[in-house]
Amino acid sequence: MACLNITINGRQIEAQAGQTVLQAATANDIEIPVLCNHPALQPQGSCRMCLVEIEKQRSLQPACTFPVTDGMVIKTESEKVQAARKFVLELLFSERIHYCMYCPMSGTDESTDCDLQRLGYRYGLTHWEYAPNYKKRWPVDASRTYFILDHSRCILCRCCVRACDEIAANHTIGVKDRGARTMIIADMDVPFGASSCVSCGTCLQVCPTGALMDRRSAYMGLHTDVEHVKTTCMACPVGCGIEAITRDRLLLRAEGDWDAANAGLLCVTGRFEVVEPQPARIQQPMIKRNGDWVNVTLDEALDVVASRLKSAGPVAGLVTPRATGETMTAFHRFFEEVLRSDQAGLLYGEMPPTGFGALATLQDLSNADCVVVVNGEPLQDQKVLGYITKRAVDHGARLVVVNDAPTQLDPWAGVTLPLATIAEIAPMVDAAQHPVVLYAGGLAPAAYDVLRALPVQTRFLPLYEGTNTAGAARLGLSARRVQGSALFLLAGDEAKADHGVTLPETAFTVVQAAYHTAWTEAADVVLPAPVWTEQTGHIVNVEGRELPVNPSITAPQGIEPVESVLIKLAAHLGHGLN
Amino acid sequence: MADQKVTVASDWLAGCAGCHMSLLDIDERIVDLVQLVTLTSTPVTDLKHPAKEGVTVGILEGGVNNSTTESVAKMFRERSKVLIALGDCAVFGGVPTMRNACGIKEALQRAYVETESTVDGQVPHHEDIAVMQDCRAIDQVVPIDVYLPGCPPSADAIWYVLTELLAGRMPELKGKYLDWH
Repeated sequence: MACLNITINGRQIEAQAGQTVLQAATANDIEIPVLCNHPALQPQGSCRMCLVEIEKQRSLQPACTFPVTDGMVIKTESEKVQAARKFVLELLFSERIHYCMYCPMSGTDESTDCDLQRLGYRYGLTHWEYAPNYKKRWPVDASRTYFILDHSRCILCRCCVRACDEIAANHTIGVKDRGARTMIIADMDVPFGASSCVSCGTCLQVCPTGALMDRRSAYMGLHTDVEHVKTTCMACPVGCGIEAITRDRLLLRAEGDWDAANAGLLCVTGRFEVVEPQPARIQQPMIKRNGDWVNVTLDEALDVVASRLKSAGPVAGLVTPRATGETMTAFHRFFEEVLRSDQAGLLYGEMPPTGFGALATLQDLSNADCVVVVNGEPLQDQKVLGYITKRAVDHGARLVVVNDAPTQLDPWAGVTLPLATIAEIAPMVDAAQHPVVLYAGGLAPAAYDVLRALPVQTRFLPLYEGTNTAGAARLGLSARRVQGSALFLLAGDEAKADHGVTLPETAFTVVQAAYHTAWTEAADVVLPAPVWTEQTGHIVNVEGRELPVNPSITAPQGIEPVESVLIKLAAHLGHGLN
Repeated sequence: MADQKVTVASDWLAGCAGCHMSLLDIDERIVDLVQLVTLTSTPVTDLKHPAKEGVTVGILEGGVNNSTTESVAKMFRERSKVLIALGDCAVFGGVPTMRNACGIKEALQRAYVETESTVDGQVPHHEDIAVMQDCRAIDQVVPIDVYLPGCPPSADAIWYVLTELLAGRMPELKGKYLDWH
């Protein structure tokens, strides 16, 4: 790429052809204020905050859309620029009612979470030159479960519109009317709660003001009060990168990690549902005595477990696919080396056959020119894969859905086929340069033969249940019927006893779990377990990548990592495990 | 010597008195302040209004929301060399402007008749009581010289503005002193 020499504020800078003035400045740590610009979105140049003075240009130009040319001389904070920005801010503040004292984003010039307020402070707005119209009432749309849109705080930057279009590919958000009457709307102007919105919350994450606010974390802390920890979402095997935002050991909010493969995108589960208050935790080991639960120390509980496991004969073991690879390894070794049992399996989650070709990355899916979805429902079960598939369709990819039942992706499909005619995908995949096939388990062998015969450029993404099912498969742990006279169930932070699991009938059952479920009710001994926000380790996601799980919250006192409990239990059984 | 001191008057309009509380939060600096200035009239002194001869600095908290607050704002403008709008209500209109959206009639009906704790309520009406108006920032009624926003403005910001004025400079609110929070 050609290198251009430009001057910003008297500094000689090398820029790349094709860069905007804003990109060239940002790359050289020269800050230009923006409101409607976001690095993950296409620039649109509507807010006029980034106006700069460019020599030989008749008027001030928006840095976010103006391409650099060789020899360009730019001033980013000249008097003329500052006056223009102040005027822009005066107009923005006059348009709706930006009462900072009511807003959860409001703070001092250091602590504020609102870009509009920060710029108001920066350009010395002590008052509003043009009084807003207090007679007009802007609506508040609180029709969604997890976040609210307050139109009076909206500056019409359209970051939400572009996030919905370009990142989530959901196209729910639009605008109606023109000029001062312009309003952000959902679909054909219906409440967001009644619209096609999927509550992925990408718009919430890019909103520069308090117009979109998270119900749960509103007023619970500004960026100066909270801690950010980058980790991996444990809700499904896509394994999206998230930033867990916590304060005082409380998970306030999850945001999509812009630097991860999902590039900021999350789904309603990963962004909101996992943050919801969970049922009461199991705080202490418990033993069932004469039908009643008795709290005991970990040593007492492990004594009972060890003596019962010793006398029980063959021991069966099941581990949740929500466990980290490290936990699964400890569990697997505990069964192989300490209990000498081959009856260890996965609680649920079946890995489809693999090895048809290279695995796709989320980026491959986004860039695909042909996407085939075989027997899956990603918009429901692996939502982010569904959204990225729709994004690929927006970019011109051909979507082929192979399923005997209707799927939510059908409206975007160019072709829908029943499973019996799966062979028809071959010519379509052949014609593509970057085809990606999403496929589920449970297909007839002939269907897998079709996948196996696809051309070498085809990338594959298996669709399955269970966050770390792929990690379990690497250890040889799979969902199967295990047998024994005693059962060790590592339920981890499963909040409900479902997934169609039938536990083997055993004389003695020990369950290690974070929450009370039907599984713990039926147990003889219950050991506490940490939850996902408290764990350290890795999972393997659909792309086959090992992703880090970092603790954002310290576990309550007395709740130890699963690995250390297993090491202690091994010691109670007279074995070493490290 | 006392005659040559800078005179300061203050009053509150449609506000909550919180900004005056913040003024008192300058703590022991108030001792320095009264040595430098004469507080002529305030809501907590016997003298309620600045004298006709006028004062150097007038400080108004709260927005303008009825005929009384409007006349007080106009009187302060006439009688003050420098008029300070103290706090978000004085600067922006503040919380009371919320009633503008529903209208005065509806606001009165709700407050005096429909509140859950009211029995046989009626909207007060007498020729001597103030006539309600839409609430607005003071600068919508009279010109303001110094804007000191904040809900409330910090004691440090208030102290900064007063000491700058005493030093003969117009205060420039920036950084930690500029805070609408």
